[in-house]
Amino acid sequence: MFSYNRLLFLIDHLIWGILVLVFVFFIFQSEYFLTERNISNILTAAAVLGVLVAGQTFVLISGNFDLSTESTLGLAALVGIWLIVPAGPTTFGGGIFMNPYLSIICSLSMGALIGYIIGCLITYGNMHNFIVTLAALLVIRGLMMAFTEGAPVSGFNNPSADVFYWLGHEKAFKLPGLGKISVAVLATGLVYIVCHLILKHHKFGRELYAIGGNRDAAEALGINVNRRIRQVYMLSGLLAALGGWMLAGRVVSIQSNLGETFIFTVFAGAVIGGVSLQGGRGTMLGALGGVLLLSTIDRGLNLMQVSVFWIKVIQGSVILVAMLIDAQRVRLKELSIIATSEKK
Amino acid sequence: MKILELKNISKSFGAIHALENVDLDINPGEALGLMGDNGAGKSTLVKIVAGNFSPTNGEIFVAGKKTSISNPLEARNHGIEIVYQDLKLCNNLTASANVFLGREINSGFGFFSRLKHTAMNDRAAELFGELQSETRPHDVVERMSGGQRQAVALARTRLSDPKIVLLDEPTAAISIRQVAGILARIKQLKETGHAVILVSHRMMDVFEVCDRVAVLRRGNKIADKPIANTNPEEVTGLITGALEKA
Ligand SMILES: Nc1ncnc2c1ncn2[C@@H]1O[C@H](COP(=O)(O)OP(=O)(O)OP(=O)(O)O)[C@@H](O)[C@H]1O
Ligand SMILES: [Mg+2]
Repeated sequence: MFSYNRLLFLIDHLIWGILVLVFVFFIFQSEYFLTERNISNILTAAAVLGVLVAGQTFVLISGNFDLSTESTLGLAALVGIWLIVPAGPTTFGGGIFMNPYLSIICSLSMGALIGYIIGCLITYGNMHNFIVTLAALLVIRGLMMAFTEGAPVSGFNNPSADVFYWLGHEKAFKLPGLGKISVAVLATGLVYIVCHLILKHHKFGRELYAIGGNRDAAEALGINVNRRIRQVYMLSGLLAALGGWMLAGRVVSIQSNLGETFIFTVFAGAVIGGVSLQGGRGTMLGALGGVLLLSTIDRGLNLMQVSVFWIKVIQGSVILVAMLIDAQRVRLKELSIIATSEKK
Repeated sequence: MKILELKNISKSFGAIHALENVDLDINPGEALGLMGDNGAGKSTLVKIVAGNFSPTNGEIFVAGKKTSISNPLEARNHGIEIVYQDLKLCNNLTASANVFLGREINSGFGFFSRLKHTAMNDRAAELFGELQSETRPHDVVERMSGGQRQAVALARTRLSDPKIVLLDEPTAAISIRQVAGILARIKQLKETGHAVILVSHRMMDVFEVCDRVAVLRRGNKIADKPIANTNPEEVTGLITGALEKA
C-alpha cells in the first residue's frame, strides 16, 4: 500500500541506507577499504567533523545558523597551544608556559564565550544570525592571523602539549574489525550520546524544537527564547573549541588558516543527516549518519585515487542531492497533509 | 469578590493605541463575552491578562490582590489559562509535546532532569478523552484538522485547575458539532466556579453562554451589560458604531 507517511519515514532514514550502499561500493573498488587501518581513519576523520556538526545541529534545530564555528575551532586550537609553548622560532608560542590543563580550560571557555557573545549580539542587538555569525567568521579568522603574524604555532614533540596529542592522536583501545579506536572517536561518541539525550529527553531540547518550529508560540507559552538562543550559540562555540582541541593534536603546527572552509562540510554533514535548514527538524542520530557518510566518501575516493578536483565535484554533488531530498521532504509533507485531510 | 479586575488599562504599540483606559472585572462562575470589530483590541486585552503583553498603563487585581503579570508563567501561577486566537501550536511537535510545552513533566532536577514521555502522553490522552476529541498524543500537529488543533490548544487549559479561562475566538475555525461541544464546556466551567472570558464574533454563542457582554471599539470599552438587559441588535449596533454608547 502506498502511503506518504511511509515514504516520509523512508526519506528520514535514507541516510543509513545510502551509507551502507556507499560502503559496499568502496569495498568493491579498493581492497584497502575494509582494512582496520582505513576504518580507523574514517572514524578519526569523522571525529572532528562530528563535534562541529553536533553543535550546528542544535543551532539549526533552533532555527538559526552558526557560520563562525570553523574560525572558533581554529582560534581555540591556536590559543590552546600558544599558551603552553615557548616564544620564538620553531614553536612561536606566547612563552607563557601555562599548565596544559589550564590552557585547555581557557581554550574551551573561550569557545563558549565567543558563542555567548554571538548569541548576545543576535538577541540583544536584534541582528540576523546569518550576518552576525558571518561577521564573526571573518573577525575571528582575522584575529587568528594577527595573532600568529604568519608564523605557525607548533606544539609538536613538546611534552607539555601532550594533552592535545592525547585527544587528537592517542589510540584508546583496539576493537576487532574496527581497528584502533582513538580517544577522539570515543570523545565524539560521548558527545553524541549526551547531545542525543539533551535533544530527545531534556526540556532544553524540547524547547529548541519548539523555537525552531514556531518561535512565536514558544515565546507566548513562556519559553525564554532569547536565553535559549544564547545558550545554543554557547554550546556551539564550546563544541567548536573541543573540535579545535582534537585538531590541534593532529597537526604538526597550527597555521592561521586551520579549519578554513570547514564550515561547508559541517553544513553538508548536518543537512545530509536530515537536519532542516528551516529549523525544528533533525536528530543527532541523523546528523551522525551525515558525518559518517561524508568521511566515508572522502576516504573512499582518496583510496580510489580520484583526483582532488573530482573529489570536490563529488562532494558538491552530494550536498546538492541532499538538498534535493530535503526539498522533496518538504513537498512530500505537504502532499501527505493534503492526502490525510482529503481522507477525512 | 472579583476574581479578576482590570483598572484603567492602556496599551500602545508605538503610535497605535490598542487599548485606552479599559476597566473590566469578572466574578467566579461568570462568563463574560468580549466583542468588537477587527482590531478593536480584544486579543490585546486577553494577552495582557495572560502575561504576553505588559500594559502601558493601569493595574491588574487577581482575587483582590494587585498583581503584575509580566510573563505567561506568572499568569499560569495565578490560575490564568488561555487559548490563543492563533492557537500557538508548533507544527513540528506532537500533540502531547504541544500540550505540555513550557511545563513539561520532568524527573530529576536541572541539567540532570529527564522528560517523562509516558506520563505526559498518558495525561494528554486523558485530556483529549475528556474533550471528546479523537486526537492522539503521538500525532504530529502538522497533519491535524482544525478541530484537532483546537483540541490541543484547549487541552493546555486543563493541565492545571485554573481560576480564569480566556478563550480568544475558540469557535472561529470549527464545525457546528464542535462549537456545541465548546459551548457546553464553557457552561461546565461556569458551574464549577471558573471565570471565563470569551472573545467571539458570533453573537449566538455569546448570547447562549455568557452572563455579561462587554464591547470594545477602537481600544475603548463602550458597553458592559448583563446579557439579560440587552439584545443582539443593540450589541451589533455598538460593535459597528451605529450606536454610540450603551
Ligand atoms: N504585537 C503588536 N504590535 C503592534 N501592533 C499590534 C500588536 N498586536 C496588536 N496590535 C494592534 O493593536 C490593535 C488591536 O489588535 P487586536 O489583535 O487586539 O484586535 P482584535 O480585537 O483581537 O481583532 P480581531 O477581531 O481581528 O482578532 C490593532 O490595530 C493591531 O494592529
Ligand atoms: Mg483578536
